[in-house]
Amino acid sequence: MDITLVLQQLLNGLSIGSVYAIFALGYTLVYSILGIINLAHGAIFTLGAYFTYALMGGNFGFSGLLANAVLPVKLPFAISLILSSILAGLVGIIMERIAFKPLRRKGSDPLLTVVSSLGVAVVIVNLIQYLVGAESYTFPADTFGNLPAAINFGTVEKPIPIRSVQLVIFAVSLVIVLMMSYFINSTKYGKAMQAIAEDQVTASLLGINTDKFIIITFFISSLLAGLAGSLVASSVSIAGPYFGIGFGLRGLAVIVLGGLGSIPGAVLGGLVIGVIEALVPSEYSGYKDGVAFGILFIMLLVRPQGLLGKKFIQKV
Amino acid sequence: MKRPAALTTAFLSVCTLLLTACSGSDTGTNANNTPSSTTSENTTKTTSGAIPIGVAFAQTSNVALLGQEGAAGAKIAEKYFNDKGGVNGTPIKLIFQDTSGDEAGAINAFQTLINKDKVVGIIGPTLSQQAFSTGPVAERAKVPVVAASNTAAGIPELGDYISRVSAPAFKVAPNSVKAALKQNPQIKKVAFFYAQNDAFNKSETEIFQKTVKEQGLEIVTVQKFQTTDTDFQSQATNAINLKPDLAIVSGLAADGGNLVRQLRELGYKGLIIGGNGLNSSNVLSVCKALCDGVIIAQAYSPEHSNEINKFFRQAYLDQYKKEPPQFTAQAFTAVQVYVEALKALDNKSKVNKLQLPQLRTELNKQILAGKYDTPLGEISFTPIGEVVQKDFYVAQIKTDKDGNNGKFTFIK
Repeated sequence: MDITLVLQQLLNGLSIGSVYAIFALGYTLVYSILGIINLAHGAIFTLGAYFTYALMGGNFGFSGLLANAVLPVKLPFAISLILSSILAGLVGIIMERIAFKPLRRKGSDPLLTVVSSLGVAVVIVNLIQYLVGAESYTFPADTFGNLPAAINFGTVEKPIPIRSVQLVIFAVSLVIVLMMSYFINSTKYGKAMQAIAEDQVTASLLGINTDKFIIITFFISSLLAGLAGSLVASSVSIAGPYFGIGFGLRGLAVIVLGGLGSIPGAVLGGLVIGVIEALVPSEYSGYKDGVAFGILFIMLLVRPQGLLGKKFIQKV
Repeated sequence: MKRPAALTTAFLSVCTLLLTACSGSDTGTNANNTPSSTTSENTTKTTSGAIPIGVAFAQTSNVALLGQEGAAGAKIAEKYFNDKGGVNGTPIKLIFQDTSGDEAGAINAFQTLINKDKVVGIIGPTLSQQAFSTGPVAERAKVPVVAASNTAAGIPELGDYISRVSAPAFKVAPNSVKAALKQNPQIKKVAFFYAQNDAFNKSETEIFQKTVKEQGLEIVTVQKFQTTDTDFQSQATNAINLKPDLAIVSGLAADGGNLVRQLRELGYKGLIIGGNGLNSSNVLSVCKALCDGVIIAQAYSPEHSNEINKFFRQAYLDQYKKEPPQFTAQAFTAVQVYVEALKALDNKSKVNKLQLPQLRTELNKQILAGKYDTPLGEISFTPIGEVVQKDFYVAQIKTDKDGNNGKFTFIK
């Protein structure tokens, strides 16, 4: 295989993988603090993309309750991205209060929380369709200002063009991952969250307000989901309210590969799956999902704690 | 509460499967319901006295981008024909069922229309891929189907009750290749892209490839993708490296639009031909200014100057403020075929006196026998249900600089 093509797919894979990484970060955060898998993560991802589109002054089409709606503002991409991620974070908090807290109060099985999150996902996605219809939306062409459409990493004879939007995504993801690592490892809040992850009861006995930190966790997790959604949508457009479902499933594979509950694991898992998917030859593009889950199953057989997860020691 | 990761994840996999089942497609009743063919039916009418005609288009999922255009045409037709008295005084009523984007949803929609809504005939489904599944269902139930947007080879051959007003790809597609050669006579190398999971696109790309070979051009590559793909980096770069002068894309609106956009972003400067799946202004919202210049063959022109097209075009312009697209015109035509066939049948033997199974069979015969002056021009059917149409056109997408407005401009 031509070396330039391989290089190109590698770079492409790193870019896609970095989106998976942000997405999986949010997933794994909630899992590590609360032990639950939030299946509504994919729906918040979709919501984030729609928020960004609206904030950038996008018009909505003629189906749905809000036919032809458009916000009276037209913010640049960077600001829309931040605002929509914050909005997504707030939706995450609302979701936590309505769908998860009552179950936690009653001490229910985490299984029920997962089912509840599935319900939230379906509600959000269908609400989006009801409000704005199922059409595709693309961000305005000047999303990234004067950046050229693609940057050539090779030479003139053997060009390796990579779309600029992929590079932007990779750069943003890197920054987010570094910020999150710093937050978790070096700030008081981060350490409090680690304490809750280890043992909720003891942490609250030691004076940590677990409820407050659970809210913070959901806020950050949903913010990351919304961010990932907006980034993906800037690259491949919003295909409709269901475009986040595939990511939700991929995210599961990523966090298991990286290690349930491990933050660097989520990042590594995302990049690995992104690169492997990009290296699948194009005529088998329909099997990309199969590849991701195939890796997942092999991982479970060979090393169930994932690449960077801690081995579970059965205590007697 | 430390469960072994394997157990948790096994459980999660089950949830994943549930999620996939819930996402996208319709209600999920994929059971093989045998249609109750002989319900004792004394009346063909709905409780309001109107004649029910079923419309099975995609109103959800990505395919809704194409289905919505069809639905618009059907609704305009319903109002037009009812305002003119319907079928000799009896109005028609269009009953819409959503097929969603896959075969299961389409079969479900057809079963509901046939058995619950007791329609006299069906218009649809949106995709040829769906039609290969629904055709046998309608055929077994002896319900006429007039397809308004299926252009793959083999559709009318699905049965005696299956016909279409959407001219097949092998009639329409070659015109765009000829138009591209007119715009750039130096074209030598052609790259193909097609969606391998869709029957229509597989069929259409073969026709394009045959036409290209007949014109003496060289096929440098044939790249495959799925209609659900969003990232086309590898297909696009594989092709661009071979320096083609012309790219021919056979996909649907969302994937086709993304592919066009990514081809342009990665530096492809040659002409692009889009297939019938990209023949929708919904593709404009995906590739925006980068759609400019895409050539797509058309089975309909808003400028066609017969009475009914003048009315239809004006009605569409009044409501949507832009020219009517091909899918809308074809859906309108399908309704027109039903109304005129019902009128002709009613003149021979009153339709409200016929039992439903007999009505459906007689209606089917009448549809195939008729000649119709429609927005698509004068059409009729071959004995197996293929449409006979004379006029075809070619359009090119023209967008303004920021890509927010675009339209299909007809080229000579």
